[in-house]
Amino acid sequence: MIQRTLLVRARLGLHARAAAKVVRLAQSFDSAMELTRVDNGTTADAKSILSVLMLAAGRGTELRASADGIDEDAAVNALDQLFAQGFGEMEQESGG
Amino acid sequence: MTAQPQESRFKGLGVSEGIVIGQVLRMHIGSRHVYHWRINVADLEAEHQRFRAAVELARQQVVAIKKQAEERLGKDHAYIFDAHLLLLEDAKLTSDIERQITDEHSNAEWAVEVVGDRLLSLYSEIKDDYLRERGSDIEDVMQRLLVALSGVRPQHRSLSEDAVIVAQDLLPSAVAELDLEHARAIATDTGGWTSHTAILARGIGIPAVVGLRDFYRRTRTGDKIIVDSTRNEVILHPAPATLQRYQAEVLSHDSPRGAGNARERGPVQTLDGIEITMRANVEVPAEFEGVEKFGAHGVGLYRSEFLLARRGVAVSEKEQQLAYEEVARTAGSDGVIIRLFDLGGENLREQFQEPEKNPALGLRAIRFGLRNEEVMRTQVRAILVAAENSNVKIVLPMIADVNDVRRAKAIIQEEADGLAKAGRAFGDVAVGAMIEVPSAVLMADNIAKSVDFFELGTNDLVQYTLAVDRGNDEVAHWFRTLHPAVLHSIDRSLKAAFNAGIPAIVCGEMASTPAYAVLLIGLGATDLSMTPTAIPRVRRALVGIDSRDARTIAKECLNCETADQVESIVRERFGKLWPNLFPAKSLPERRQTAKPVA
Repeated sequence: MIQRTLLVRARLGLHARAAAKVVRLAQSFDSAMELTRVDNGTTADAKSILSVLMLAAGRGTELRASADGIDEDAAVNALDQLFAQGFGEMEQESGG
Repeated sequence: MTAQPQESRFKGLGVSEGIVIGQVLRMHIGSRHVYHWRINVADLEAEHQRFRAAVELARQQVVAIKKQAEERLGKDHAYIFDAHLLLLEDAKLTSDIERQITDEHSNAEWAVEVVGDRLLSLYSEIKDDYLRERGSDIEDVMQRLLVALSGVRPQHRSLSEDAVIVAQDLLPSAVAELDLEHARAIATDTGGWTSHTAILARGIGIPAVVGLRDFYRRTRTGDKIIVDSTRNEVILHPAPATLQRYQAEVLSHDSPRGAGNARERGPVQTLDGIEITMRANVEVPAEFEGVEKFGAHGVGLYRSEFLLARRGVAVSEKEQQLAYEEVARTAGSDGVIIRLFDLGGENLREQFQEPEKNPALGLRAIRFGLRNEEVMRTQVRAILVAAENSNVKIVLPMIADVNDVRRAKAIIQEEADGLAKAGRAFGDVAVGAMIEVPSAVLMADNIAKSVDFFELGTNDLVQYTLAVDRGNDEVAHWFRTLHPAVLHSIDRSLKAAFNAGIPAIVCGEMASTPAYAVLLIGLGATDLSMTPTAIPRVRRALVGIDSRDARTIAKECLNCETADQVESIVRERFGKLWPNLFPAKSLPERRQTAKPVA
């Protein structure tokens, strides 16, 4: 299993559209994937949008991503990249 | 004779630019009654089947909507529906509902309602505004499931030519399913600038005003309505005079859909080579993109009180700092001028109970700040910190005399000292005064010596100079932007700034109306700030005139006795000199009382 801490950079936080991207990505890997809020320990199944939404992760929230399985490295790297891009949100264009 | 319904105005939040005159189309969404009945054990499997069929039907519908949205709105908007799809496919959601069916022997509708309510209540506790608004995604999916269970496909609505959609709330898929080619505008009771309704309305470029509170129940389908997102309001049953005014404005207004084509940038020069700076007035983040799009020279007026509209005066320093940094990024190297909170007791009634008898003359703007020092100090700190890496200035609203300036500047200095002492990084900010009160105009020479720049707020200047409430129709006849008294006030303020060697920016609606902007140039203004969408049309007018002609006309106007005389001079001279720039409909109308100019 591997773990990495990720930061929610997007101005609007991990909202529905961003969550959809995270979940779609997570679903493309075989490994089991979880996201845990560093501040309060709430854990979400990264393959369930409902679960991810309930993290209520606003901008600036730190999340520990963990993946366990055959493609765990690639999974965490891909997630890392998506977070680093601020979920590729169009809202990002206006700054943030 | 039947009584005409009274014209009434409702304040909300304009989240997508534009003005539309149309007819109300009410949309009632949601709040269906869900009944509970007990399922016999023998029928439980059938109930599960019914539920799964409904999920599949709902899924197919969302796939279709998503496709439609991708074509119409682009991929990024369609991601909203990807979230809906994922919700419908979410094993946790469906298994929760199925467990409810099994454990409670309840019908599928009831199970959906119970599980949906539980999720929504979790969502409503979320602290973050934006994420909380997203509860509507879950609601939307639940509604769709309920409709699918009833076996009815939601009907596709086609709209009349000039339909303005009025609803308490619009669920995202309802917006996407609408016949958007014909929807002209949207007005809703709830929602904020980040609601899906707002995002989608901006995406397709139709005006929207949200957060109108209890507007929906006052309307009937077919009512005449004006949606004016530039002024954050809608007008129900507009009176004939109001309609006329708006028809003229709509004619001279660039449609936001085509606005992208009007991209022109760089300095604006009159025919005789006078350079005019054109800045943007902004309030909500939705307007920020217009700054770049319309080639504004930074932000000339940022109405910071928007931050309070969302959270009240409790808005934190950090939150403000982020907002100011964002607007500073938008403004770029040309900078942003942040107006300190310009509001009064009537905006904050919950926190400051006693309604004032005369709020326009009451404890508002800089007076409010000087009385509630902590609110002002917090804002000043946030601005100073935001100024560390950006070009940020402060303008003080409703300055009455130099005493107001001194007290405000002392506070700014104290906060800067405090930050320095605490070892926090911050930047220096220039401080200007809004000139919008007659006493400030009369003392302008004096005030000009203690500030770095002037900013002329023409809306309030007209209102205070003529002592006319612009919102009161009974006295609308006395509200005359082109009153010689107003022109003299502008002239005097511009001269005071010029003599003191400080810049003077004219903001307010006057600058955004081409004919008035030309008159302002004639009075010596060279720096205008206006709503971003107005920039192309004002630019077009200014590059087509010779400022010396404008000066001659302005001088003539200053010698007039009445607003009627000024208006007829403008009408005649403009019409003659620049017939192509100023067709008759763009000039002030002739009033019955107008006397012909000799």
